[in-house]
Amino acid sequence: MNEKEQVEMSEAPQGWFYQPANIRLLIIGLVVACLASLGAEFLYTNDHPHFDAETWFGFQAWFGFAAFVVVVMLGKILRIFVSRPEDYYDS
Amino acid sequence: MIHSLPPGTLMIVGGLLIPLLWRSAQSAMALVLTIGSLVLFLLTPSGEYGQIELFGQSLVLVRIDPLSRIFGVIFHIAAIVSAIYALHLKDAKQHVAAMVYAGGAIGACCAGDLITLFFYWELTAISSVFLVWASNTERSYRSGIRYLIIQVGSGVLLLSGAIVRYVETGSIRFDLLVEPGASMSAGTLLIFLAFGIKCAFPLLHNWLQDAYPEATVTGAVFLSAFTTKLAIYSLARGFAGTESLIWIGCVMTLFPILFAVIENDLRRVLAYSLNNQLGFMVVGIGIGTDLAISGAAAHAFCHILYKALLFMSMGAVLYRVGTVKATELGGLYKSMPWTTVFCMVGAGSIAGFPLLSGFISKSMIITAAAEEHMLLVWIVLLIASAGVMEHSGIKIPFFAFFSHDSGKRPKEAPWNMLLAMGIAAAFCIGLGVGFPWLYRYLPTLPDYEPYTWPHVVTQLQLLLFAALAFVVLMLTKLYPAELRRINLDTDWIYRRLLPRLIGWIGRGVQQADGLVRGWVMRDLKGLLECLSQRFGERGLLGGTWTTGVMAVWATIVLCLCLLLNYL
Repeated sequence: MNEKEQVEMSEAPQGWFYQPANIRLLIIGLVVACLASLGAEFLYTNDHPHFDAETWFGFQAWFGFAAFVVVVMLGKILRIFVSRPEDYYDS
Repeated sequence: MIHSLPPGTLMIVGGLLIPLLWRSAQSAMALVLTIGSLVLFLLTPSGEYGQIELFGQSLVLVRIDPLSRIFGVIFHIAAIVSAIYALHLKDAKQHVAAMVYAGGAIGACCAGDLITLFFYWELTAISSVFLVWASNTERSYRSGIRYLIIQVGSGVLLLSGAIVRYVETGSIRFDLLVEPGASMSAGTLLIFLAFGIKCAFPLLHNWLQDAYPEATVTGAVFLSAFTTKLAIYSLARGFAGTESLIWIGCVMTLFPILFAVIENDLRRVLAYSLNNQLGFMVVGIGIGTDLAISGAAAHAFCHILYKALLFMSMGAVLYRVGTVKATELGGLYKSMPWTTVFCMVGAGSIAGFPLLSGFISKSMIITAAAEEHMLLVWIVLLIASAGVMEHSGIKIPFFAFFSHDSGKRPKEAPWNMLLAMGIAAAFCIGLGVGFPWLYRYLPTLPDYEPYTWPHVVTQLQLLLFAALAFVVLMLTKLYPAELRRINLDTDWIYRRLLPRLIGWIGRGVQQADGLVRGWVMRDLKGLLECLSQRFGERGLLGGTWTTGVMAVWATIVLCLCLLLNYL
């Protein structure tokens, strides 16, 4: 039998990762990890910063958050210009 | 004797003989060839071998130094892992193409001169296209043709550059081609362009995203390892410290992540991600310090493994489900748990989580930029790191294995695929933990410690808060939904714009031709009518005259002759 034909279809989405309580648990875990990474800054001092920004509290935290959001938003804007139907080149 | 045999030759020659074997033994033979080639390579001491004279020039077929050694080793490891991944495959054509391609790439990174490099450069181009064509679809055929034209074109530029450089300098040796800060000669510029095409520089990049997703399940794994990393090796050898590479690399790290965000085909997302990772290496080569060059080599080493791992996991999904479109997938973790775990190891590695391979290599390049006080470059690389977290760290595993449940319950990947993914994942973790082993084999032993408090904490902050941003965007429904659409890239220029331009020009020429022909025909018609009036039966010059008139005219002509004679 073809491999593609072996794919079976199942019913409702069941599973650990689809339970709202578990999703909430994962999000809480992520938030705790984020806060812990911020708190870890109190455990050391960066004696050899190359740039001033490296000494700002939580610089890479908010920078990572902002960069992620900006990248996604720019991607959405890019989609307006470059998105085409799947058969664009076939037609 | 064995030293003068260029590394990779066993795979090339043995690969060409594979069709002579039984069908069931072909894939095993491919694996044996890769392992045998690695053993031979490790037994070959560093140095220069296999010098031959050709047209008065000395060709160095084999030159093994620390840079070619590290690339030779990782190319062999990639070939072995890919061969295991392809053990189930019963297609001699693909096995031959893969062996010749991998062997060619290994030979290329041990080439001591530009002509030998050109030979292997074209060999990798011609052999690898069969891995695209082997998909046996109209789309893969057309994509393969485009890929071949661009790759062979890169080789032609390399040969042209080598010839011009020979005229300029009298040498075809492949060493540092331009000193840092110096301007490039015409020959060197041609070689730079050739490397740039194979390295997928911005605007020269789209063959990568065009062809790789059209390759076969196993072919894409091979493709992900060799072509572009051969270009990285070549840049590190010939253009270390070339400042323009820093800015080219910065652009390379940034623009592919925007396309990756909105791409639906997950193997194409990986192709954009590959392009972004090459950018990090190109930046490192451009910075050119010992730490940066070693960082680029280390990143290439780690990247080949985690990128192959990601391509293998998506290949397993494609093999079992028949598609890797994000809109068609989701919830596969339930029936493909091992593939999910291996994919997440690859995703964690590429994102640069501590204890995984990407962390110990990418941070070398970022630190090298910081040590040179390149603030803008440092900022760009941080943005790119957050972008990597988006497209490869989260998007690939999330949309394939979690996200909305597609209801599909495919079987787990075959044992050989799982074994190959397991080995690659073990390397990702092993390199992340046992990084001193890798550092020892780099071109220069870096004075660098990745696991310092500031490194680990700031990297975790960047990645965790990027993940938090993803959660926020998903909860607020601001994250762009996956759509069954494609995105135009620079291939639009030669797939749509140029054919249309040629069509418009053709139609214009046709219309102009029709117009001119009309004018000429009209004038010719007028001329013919005029001539027919003059020379026709009733025309002055063509009509039939009576004998009397003829006699009168003859007499007049004779009189004129006499008169002229006496004048």
